[in-house]
Amino acid sequence: MLELKPMLSALWRNKASALLIALQLALTLAIISNIVVIVQDRIEKIERPTGITVEDIIALNFMAIPQNYDMTGAIAADLELLRALPYVKDATVTNQVPLSQSGSAGTFYTQPNQEIGGENSNYYNTDPHFIDTLGLNLVAGRNFTDAEIQFSDPNESPEIAVALVTQQFAEKLYPGQDPIGKPLFDGSGSNPIEIIGVVERHLGAWVGWSNAGNVAFFPSIKNTQDTNYLIRTEPGKRDQVLKALVQKLSERDPQRVIKTKVLSEYVARSYARDNLMVKVLSIVAAMLSFIVALGIVGLTIFWINQRAKQIGVRRALGATRTNISRYFLLENSLIAGTGIAIGSAAALIVNQSMVRDYSQPELTLMPLAICALLVLLVSLAAALTPAIRAANISPATATRSV
Amino acid sequence: MLKMNNVRKSFRTDTIETHALRDFSLEVKEGEFVSVTGPSGSGKTTFLNIAGLLEPPTGGEYLLDGDDVSNLNDRQRSHLRNEKIGFIFQGFNLIPDLTLFDNIDVPLRYRGFSAKERRKRIEKVLEQVGLSARAKHLPAQLSGGQQQRIAIARALAGEPRFLLADEPTGNLDSLMARQVMELLEFINEWGTTIVMVTHDPELARRAHRNIQIVDGQVCDLRAVPEQPAAVSV
Ligand SMILES: Nc1ncnc2c1ncn2[C@@H]1O[C@H](COP(=O)(O)OP(=O)(O)OP(=O)(O)O)[C@@H](O)[C@H]1O
Ligand SMILES: [Mg+2]
Repeated sequence: MLELKPMLSALWRNKASALLIALQLALTLAIISNIVVIVQDRIEKIERPTGITVEDIIALNFMAIPQNYDMTGAIAADLELLRALPYVKDATVTNQVPLSQSGSAGTFYTQPNQEIGGENSNYYNTDPHFIDTLGLNLVAGRNFTDAEIQFSDPNESPEIAVALVTQQFAEKLYPGQDPIGKPLFDGSGSNPIEIIGVVERHLGAWVGWSNAGNVAFFPSIKNTQDTNYLIRTEPGKRDQVLKALVQKLSERDPQRVIKTKVLSEYVARSYARDNLMVKVLSIVAAMLSFIVALGIVGLTIFWINQRAKQIGVRRALGATRTNISRYFLLENSLIAGTGIAIGSAAALIVNQSMVRDYSQPELTLMPLAICALLVLLVSLAAALTPAIRAANISPATATRSV
Repeated sequence: MLKMNNVRKSFRTDTIETHALRDFSLEVKEGEFVSVTGPSGSGKTTFLNIAGLLEPPTGGEYLLDGDDVSNLNDRQRSHLRNEKIGFIFQGFNLIPDLTLFDNIDVPLRYRGFSAKERRKRIEKVLEQVGLSARAKHLPAQLSGGQQQRIAIARALAGEPRFLLADEPTGNLDSLMARQVMELLEFINEWGTTIVMVTHDPELARRAHRNIQIVDGQVCDLRAVPEQPAAVSV
């Protein structure tokens, strides 16, 4: 029943039209499969766990107006006030806001007085409340105590004795070892900082950084002109707390400029480019598929109309409607198969240069196979209506038209 | 073999209704060679289409081999066409993209024969029409008369009991027309019933019987003499 051989030779005699459709499909597959890898990669990046309860956190920055402002005193009083506010779970002070694209980083070593072989890490100067405020998960060791906090002036280097690090950073420094009690050296210094605790995850300041997730936390508060608080509220109460916040702090001390922003807004801004990329590429892929589908519908209809007489003759010779629509769907699958074969090769070649020149992720077999299946389905769906139309051509066409 | 009782066929376009056949009654016996003549637009092709199950009649009764086939569904009619009926068209209607071999193969594939059986039948009919050497050629590489012989071979390959031809010689010169006619007569002698529409009075007279269709009705049922050659024009 399968008429593969005569179908192939008939296709061969019309290779220009057939090849045109096949190449369209090939191009679509090559483009879409590469779009899919990029989109998939971006989505994975966006959906990476931050380790932080982003939705419940408010970031607040204040700048003191008077010179020689007692920052240390203000921080103690503000934090006490903030922690007592209704619906506030906890509050902490920090030199930088996490996930905000702004932060501090340094190179850390496991031996004193080193120049090379260090690990880059993001770090925060904060107080013991950072774990509860950010919703981090302490997986080993202990938190700081209030007594361990080092207070210092802006141009003096505090002698920091203890640190917490993320699991990822601990694993980089001491692969396969228990990091608790091990030393950490800041830059080329000789003063050991003892790792006393490990938190499961904290993505750090820069979501796009290759070392994102390497983070250290030091118990240190500097007497600067400005600082940041992070406030964690009960779930769903963030916006309510946000309204009361500024007023309460200003009432306590009006001599400062206060700015607030919810942490989720920082995150959204950090991923804005990635989100835009996902959106644009998805639209391009969808439009491309749609246009190619239209092209196939058009070409198939044109091609079927061209062969209307022949279809009538086949019907007159005993073809059922099913025979006719099956013929065109099979023909379409052959063309799509050719297109997919060419397209897969092209997709891999395009991807190789994307990997090499634009450091995009590698196209693996699975997404390619899924895209190929998708292209096949689009092509079959596009051919379905024309194939049914073909089946409805009357057998009388054989005798009626000349 | 074929029996039509008061068959009607009308075509309906937006406003106009054309009655192509009206109270059309006819019987064709097994083994007969019937020619059909009549003015243009009188309903000859319509009659052949209904007889060949290409279109259903609007009304009336059509018995093929004693079975009422006027109300069969599309699928059943396709199968009957494939098994019992062979078609020959004025324009040959060979499929241009297929070789002659593959053209003859088309109805055999729909029939579901094995590859071996199909090959055997194709080789046999190609020999009958004298074109065995051209099996791998494309239709466009043949003369009109040769194309029509291939079309006849295609109609014969399924060994139909009933052959319908709509002006099979209409596109051929008189020499080629005569060759095709001789082939049809030869086929008829081997037992195939033939109904042939023609405008050529000489060819019409060579049939056992000639019927005239005028205005969608059988006008005159007269037997032509047994020896067609004896009749003068
Ligand atoms: N599909 C159709 N739609 C509308 N009218 C049709 C259709 N097919 C045939 N007719 C009409 O039916 C009538 C009979 O047509 P038919 O083709 O049977 O004539 P014919 O005897 O074969 O003519 P010719 O000798 O020119 O081939 C004509 O008036 C024709 O216009
Ligand atoms: Mg006609």
